[in-house]
Amino acid sequence: MSDCNVIQERMPQLLIEALNGSDREDSHQHIELCAICREEWLELRAAWAELGELPEVPVPPMMRSRFLERIGQTPSRVIPFRRPEWPRWAAQAAAVALLVGGSFWTGRTLAPATITPSAGVAQATEAPYRITGSRVIPASSLSREIEGTPRIDNVRYVPDGNGGIRLAFNLTSEVTVTGNAGDESLATLMAYVLESRENPDQSRSATIQYIRDNWSGGGKASPEIARALATVLRSDSNEGVRLKALDALRSLPHQATPDAQTALIEALKNDPNPAVRLKAVEALAEMATAGTPLDPSMVDTLREKADQGDENLYVRVKAAEALSQIDL
Amino acid sequence: MKHLSDQELMRIVQDGNLTPAGEIFDRYSARIYNFAYRFLKSGEAAEDATQEVFVKMIRYAKQFHGDAKLSTWLFSITANHCRDQLRKADNRTKESEETLLTLPATGDAPDRAMEKKQNQIRVQKALELLTPEQREAIILSRYQGLSYAEIAQIAGCSEGAVKTRVFRAMETLKKALAGDAGGERCLTAM
Repeated sequence: MSDCNVIQERMPQLLIEALNGSDREDSHQHIELCAICREEWLELRAAWAELGELPEVPVPPMMRSRFLERIGQTPSRVIPFRRPEWPRWAAQAAAVALLVGGSFWTGRTLAPATITPSAGVAQATEAPYRITGSRVIPASSLSREIEGTPRIDNVRYVPDGNGGIRLAFNLTSEVTVTGNAGDESLATLMAYVLESRENPDQSRSATIQYIRDNWSGGGKASPEIARALATVLRSDSNEGVRLKALDALRSLPHQATPDAQTALIEALKNDPNPAVRLKAVEALAEMATAGTPLDPSMVDTLREKADQGDENLYVRVKAAEALSQIDL
Repeated sequence: MKHLSDQELMRIVQDGNLTPAGEIFDRYSARIYNFAYRFLKSGEAAEDATQEVFVKMIRYAKQFHGDAKLSTWLFSITANHCRDQLRKADNRTKESEETLLTLPATGDAPDRAMEKKQNQIRVQKALELLTPEQREAIILSRYQGLSYAEIAQIAGCSEGAVKTRVFRAMETLKKALAGDAGGERCLTAM
């Protein structure tokens, strides 16, 4: 191996000053005298310096409390978005009655089944109830009346490799509801998954992805899911989850609902992440060009953003573009 | 808690008292999160990874021996988790775009901010040209300031292998980042 090869192999260590004294000295002397190695060294140093352009990413604010909560170091549980109006025991009893009633009506036998939730989900959610067994219920046999019943707080998404969906929750037994995007009775349960902060981000994110993949564009998505996505967009602490919720909201046939439009305007006004604000502009522009009746505050917000000196440049440009597309 | 060393905090955790968990989290979460963020190219995945790492730190506290640095041990757990995640194929290309969009906003004037953002995107794209092993080595060396010996311990390989990975990584990065034309090459090579 030539001297040059040896020196060039040492260069990364020279950059971080990890060479011993004599090797360092030899290397610098060689670089001084050898034009090829000097050029190599300058390029390498420039690349190393440029790597420093990437800024440190701030830790999301809720992460600490979530971690402490997971290991039981905070006494209070996270408050769900909507509190049940009835006492919890009444809510659970009502939900059990509806489930059992729905199942009985279809005359199906509920065979005991082994539930194998994903590791992350199972570890993250401690059931506050005593589990006496487990059941798997097809969504088609679930009473649609479950919509509007008191909330079940611990619904979670269980990955299903076959393109279907499995949603599990604990009452007096572990219940897993299986189905697919065509089962309207799943909408309420999916909204519960999205709105429960006790679910890990992956679980909420996977549910949103499922909605995007299966419920977009075809007129199947329920207003309840659109509302739940809007809630996620407004309040989830994870920017990745908010971005996914925004994309899903954008793809739903219910994107024109006032709640979705309001959530997008709020995201454009208040979201701390420029990527979310940028996508909110795009979604609002799409709505406008698709002929959706516009909330007057939307145009005002776009104007405000286009003129706002301290706003992210991309967001300003997009807002100006959106305004130029809207027939005022 | 702040006056206790890492080893002393871990001894308390090993005895079943989780009170120091918050202090340990405060000391290392930013480094772990940033390492995972650069490795996995996604804020969401990095947040999940950081949570998992600290939960595993509690669960496997007894496996921590006081003769090692706590940071090295935590980076080892993080690297293992990130490698597992990368093996799960489905979120690679999608998430890289997300990362580019979620690079933190700068407080500069618009033209300067745009230039800075473009540079950041160039660097991020260049890092994506590396193999996972090379990326791991570069992130730990450049952004976390670890020695080759520590990186070898975390990556489960020899120091010689770390040297080779860093050398090859720098060769790739140098070509990708060399001048404006280089930047274009890098972007079109995607």
